[in-house]
Amino acid sequence: MSFRVRPGKKGLRLRLHDLEAAIMDVVWGREMSSFAVGDVLAVLEKQRDIAYTTVMTTVARLYDKGILRRERDGRRYLYAPKMSREEFLATTAREVLDGAIGGHQAMAMLAEKVSEASAGELDDLEALIQKRREELGE
Amino acid sequence: MTEAVFPLLGTVFVVLVVLPAFALFTKIVLVVVERLEAEGQHEHNLRYLLLVGSSLVPIGWFLSAALHQVESGKSALACLLDHDASGLCIEPSIFAALLGGLVAMMVVRLVLGHQRVPRSSSNEAQLLATRLEHLLSTRPAMADLRGRLVVTEARDFALGTRGFFRPEVYVGMAFAGRLSDEMLASALGHEREHIRGWDPLRYLVLQVALAVNPLGRGLLESHATRWQASREAHCDREAVVDGAAPLSLADAIVRAARPSSREAVALGARDTAVLEFRVRLLLAFAGKAPARCSHRHSSAVALALAVLLIVLLLPHHTGTAALDALHLGTEQTLAYFQR
Repeated sequence: MSFRVRPGKKGLRLRLHDLEAAIMDVVWGREMSSFAVGDVLAVLEKQRDIAYTTVMTTVARLYDKGILRRERDGRRYLYAPKMSREEFLATTAREVLDGAIGGHQAMAMLAEKVSEASAGELDDLEALIQKRREELGE
Repeated sequence: MTEAVFPLLGTVFVVLVVLPAFALFTKIVLVVVERLEAEGQHEHNLRYLLLVGSSLVPIGWFLSAALHQVESGKSALACLLDHDASGLCIEPSIFAALLGGLVAMMVVRLVLGHQRVPRSSSNEAQLLATRLEHLLSTRPAMADLRGRLVVTEARDFALGTRGFFRPEVYVGMAFAGRLSDEMLASALGHEREHIRGWDPLRYLVLQVALAVNPLGRGLLESHATRWQASREAHCDREAVVDGAAPLSLADAIVRAARPSSREAVALGARDTAVLEFRVRLLLAFAGKAPARCSHRHSSAVALALAVLLIVLLLPHHTGTAALDALHLGTEQTLAYFQR
């Protein structure tokens, strides 16, 4: 799985186009372990005016990008996410940081998430620092 | 009318054809350079020079060629001593003025776009200034920050280095109030590295280079963002080498990213991925002190100026064939449409 970073975007949208991110939000948010295009369409239709073919094309693109896997179910495909949201963000972080500082160093110090700094994530970072302080007896 | 054709069409050609072509070339080179970096060869300054040079090298060359067209082949030294202004033609001069004006306009727009931060001199500000003075007096390594610290009561401002030619560190009162002395001193150490590296000026030149090129932001901004992220990490590292406490600096960086501090560039805490990486790097430094990187960054400005000087002198030695071809081409284009 490898694709380019979208400058100025955050979280899922750092790597996915808006509709791709919206679809993955639905899939991960509703913990869909297996779904057809129509299942996602049913949710998205409540949020926006969108055609079946648009969703179908975008889902197929997510499959091409290696984020979804699929299997035939009669005349249609059933899709499933290949990884959790956290795993996807970790992969994104790895690639972003790989370019930011230099490969090996970045891989060794891997950050796990990419998103707008939320209070929860900052709390986690502070807890990490506190834990390190305790380890060092500071 | 015909006198205006070359300056106008020439400028349009440079902006719409030459600069995008350089951006594309630079993109290819940067991809190769970043792949090499991923294999462990770090060329921090090279990336910056490529990004900036993608626009400023062609513009610098065309400007110089337009002003020195008549001196092509003559010694550059002679030009420095006695510039042959009598040989200046009106058309290349207007072309140079338009091209220079475009760059100047971008500079003005970007400079005006910078958030102005007011200085404060209230009693509370004086108290913080005294606290900062005490921090400097107890840390000799930071003595060069003396006279460069400014206290501000601006709402939502945390900490940042401002000023292109004499950078100063602005310290937000509310932010400083949330930091211990050690955190504040460590954060100042980070900003000190920005001052030593002339970063406000470097960032401005980078932004101008991207803004003036129609494909600059589209093709090169992601590389510029990564360069800035690595620059922030470099400043963390150098601050630790110079005595900043790694965990206190990590704490200060996280606090600067809190929603209550909306200063987007405070301590470079812009993106969670980079933020977390920097924090983890600092946690590692707490266990094993980093070695000092070579101070090549301090020579980056001198190196950039040297490259620019060479580009400006090139038309003297290699001629102005590209400018002549551009001039001829625009006139032939006009003649074609007038037929």
